Amino acid sequence: MAFTLYSLLQAALLCVNAIAVLHEERFLKNIGWGTDQGIGGFEEEPGIKSQLMNLIRSVRTVMRVPLIIVNSIAIILLLLFG
Amino acid sequence: MPASKRRVPVSQPGMADPHQLFDDTSSAQSRGYGAQRAPGGLGYPTASASPQSAFLGDPVSNMAMAYGSSLAAQGKELVDKNIDRFIPVTKLKYYFAVDTMYVGKKLGLLFFPYLHQDWEVQYQQDTPVAPRFDVNAPDLYIPAMAFITYVLVAGLALGTQDRFSPDLLGLQASSALAWLTLEVLAILLSLYLVTVNTDLTTIDLVAFLGYKYVGMIGGVLMGLLFGKVVYYLVLGWCCVSIFVFMIRTLRLKILAEAAAEGIPVRGARNQLRMYLTMAVAAAQPLLMYWLTFHLVR
Repeated sequence: MAFTLYSLLQAALLCVNAIAVLHEERFLKNIGWGTDQGIGGFEEEPGIKSQLMNLIRSVRTVMRVPLIIVNSIAIILLLLFG
Repeated sequence: MPASKRRVPVSQPGMADPHQLFDDTSSAQSRGYGAQRAPGGLGYPTASASPQSAFLGDPVSNMAMAYGSSLAAQGKELVDKNIDRFIPVTKLKYYFAVDTMYVGKKLGLLFFPYLHQDWEVQYQQDTPVAPRFDVNAPDLYIPAMAFITYVLVAGLALGTQDRFSPDLLGLQASSALAWLTLEVLAILLSLYLVTVNTDLTTIDLVAFLGYKYVGMIGGVLMGLLFGKVVYYLVLGWCCVSIFVFMIRTLRLKILAEAAAEGIPVRGARNQLRMYLTMAVAAAQPLLMYWLTFHLVR
């Protein structure tokens, strides 16, 4: 039961890294999740898929620079304290 | 008319001011302090003659005292102004406006929600009524107290099995808090993905998710006193109660339109919301078991 807050932070950092690493041209376009393929239905309620695509796009745009900082801090902490 | 049914103004004779969360005791206190300070103030001119209080009568130190108290007042004002930016103190006060009767009724509801008929929160001019006036309103007092009690009971349980050490308490607390955070984040993510238009705030969600600690405490205490079978029985009862409680409460928040009219849920969107409610409610018993089974051997 060593599920501490710090391990939750590490898991969240890894998940956000995974989302940020998805490549736009090579991967997302090939499975139809590109940023220009979703913005269609303004009349109806956005479904889960378009919400997910929106989420991925916003995470990749917003978290680019903060991720660099947070990753560096995590690397330094891991090097110092193991 | 579901809209008008929800916003029924409450006019109870016992409520003096509907927006007042706590009783006003300031007038009694200030009268007491004023009476105490007057003889002290009168004492200053007469004490300047004696050498012991020459320090207090000195005009420079008088000025210094006045300056110090005004500085302290300014600092307090600054802290009060800035702390509202990080922690919404005024919003939090609503969740702690409880009294003994509310806590008693709510605990009864958590252990036996089957007979309660009306689960709607009463509104007063567009703001929800404080918890002390409506037993359906969420509060943070019970979850906070239940969480602390759970950590202490976990320490007690580990102590009876000779597995106790002080840092284990911190580990239990941190672990339970981490699971709570994970739950809140998962539910917020799924609410975003399903595009539910709800007035369920994050603090409301934390309050609802904190109610399961009450059942966990009950199960562990009974298990410590009477053995493993009683632990499973009590935990099973509390799990079913929390399941029903969460479904009935969340149904009103997530499935607002359908639930207010009482019709069975229909349509793809409503079905998805129903699944979400059931998933949230089903996660509670699982977490209750996961966080307590290692305490009762």
